[in-house]
Amino acid sequence: MPRPILYVLLVVVAASLVPMGLVYKARHSRKTHPRIQVVYDMDNQYKSKTQTENAFFADGMAMRHSPDGTVAQGQLEADDALYRGQVAGDTLFVETFPVEVTSEMMYRGQERFNIYCAPCHGASGDGNGLVNVRAAALAEGTWTPPTDLRGQTVIDRPVGHIYNTIKNGIRNMPAYGPQIPVSDRWAIVAYVRALQLSRNASIEDVPAEVRASLQK
Amino acid sequence: MAPEKIDQNRDHGPDSPEDSTTTDKFVFPKWVNLLREGTAVAAIGGLVYVVVLITGVFSPEMSAMGYAPVQPVPYSHALHAGDLGIDCRYCHTAVETTAKATLPPTATCMNCHATIKTESEKLAVVRESAETGRPIPWVRIHDLPDFVYFNHAGHIQSGVGCVSCHGQINRMTVVEQAKPLTMGWCLDCHRDPDPNLRPMDLVTDMTWTPDGDPAVLGAQLRAEHNINPSTDCTTCHR
Repeated sequence: MPRPILYVLLVVVAASLVPMGLVYKARHSRKTHPRIQVVYDMDNQYKSKTQTENAFFADGMAMRHSPDGTVAQGQLEADDALYRGQVAGDTLFVETFPVEVTSEMMYRGQERFNIYCAPCHGASGDGNGLVNVRAAALAEGTWTPPTDLRGQTVIDRPVGHIYNTIKNGIRNMPAYGPQIPVSDRWAIVAYVRALQLSRNASIEDVPAEVRASLQK
Repeated sequence: MAPEKIDQNRDHGPDSPEDSTTTDKFVFPKWVNLLREGTAVAAIGGLVYVVVLITGVFSPEMSAMGYAPVQPVPYSHALHAGDLGIDCRYCHTAVETTAKATLPPTATCMNCHATIKTESEKLAVVRESAETGRPIPWVRIHDLPDFVYFNHAGHIQSGVGCVSCHGQINRMTVVEQAKPLTMGWCLDCHRDPDPNLRPMDLVTDMTWTPDGDPAVLGAQLRAEHNINPSTDCTTCHR
């Protein structure tokens, strides 16, 4: 075979590897641009879905709030003790749980506490969660360390007060009402009480059969 | 090589004026014979090449995986969910109870950033959103076609971990799509979910792996919670 033809063939074969290489690279790298859709099908439809944009409204959101002063059916929240942690018709906080405290609720409270409270208050409630550790290390002067939930201040508070704190916040702590539903707030209150008990418990409070596992 | 000789004679023909002058008669060089095999190789090879190239270009790895758009706020999941250990559900509150995981409202960011990094340039968009009430224009990454009705709650409540579909978000400074999220990929798991099932209290754990074979534990959990994923069209399309 004449040399020029051989060279041309080699160049063609080599060049054919370039698109392959580009495809390989694109498959294994990050892309900041969205995928190119040759055929759109019905992938993107002209309808509003959860948390989508809608330029029709001033705030740009497709999802709307209920109009002010309206209450949806079943959302009246008339029970002061349950929804606000207060004695009915009074501003005093309730001293007893308006819901039944069960073991199931306690586990739920532990799980929810670890999600929503532990970042700042710590898994043990000592007020030294990882967010506090970082905020303290930043030393910006704007951060107030979280309260030790096992301290006497919180022990002395009625359960309704702790509930109200979760719902509406207190001092620098923001309101967690929007993130935590009513039943979970009470579950967390119950778990906070359990943390307080465990902090001030002695070995005599531990059932005899599991006591050995704690003493090493 | 006998037939070749006959061909040569025929090409030029007996009437050809050059017939007698055998010296300057054009003879195809021997390598021309390669053209027949060469053409076959090129045709088959070319077809394979085109198929491989098209498959590569239109594959989910090419089109969707690794999609990591530039976000309006350089929020790092590696810092918040990784280093600070904040549970997914702290922000994505509705993931256990609704179809959507939901992006947090700006108020959730301000829970901490009202008092931490209050002057940060990177958080300017967040503060502006908190003041104006207009949402932060996050760019959606995991975007299924609009005719697919994926439900987060159903998967979370069945013990499918976040990491199964989203990858190791806790290590991503910039979130990227880690899995294909194609229909075939969904069906793989709907037909055999065992390897992707975990105890319910570990769904948001990004680093958990079962002690033994994931399929063995998965089969056990599946029987325990009566998990029977459907492969019916109407499960996802309506």
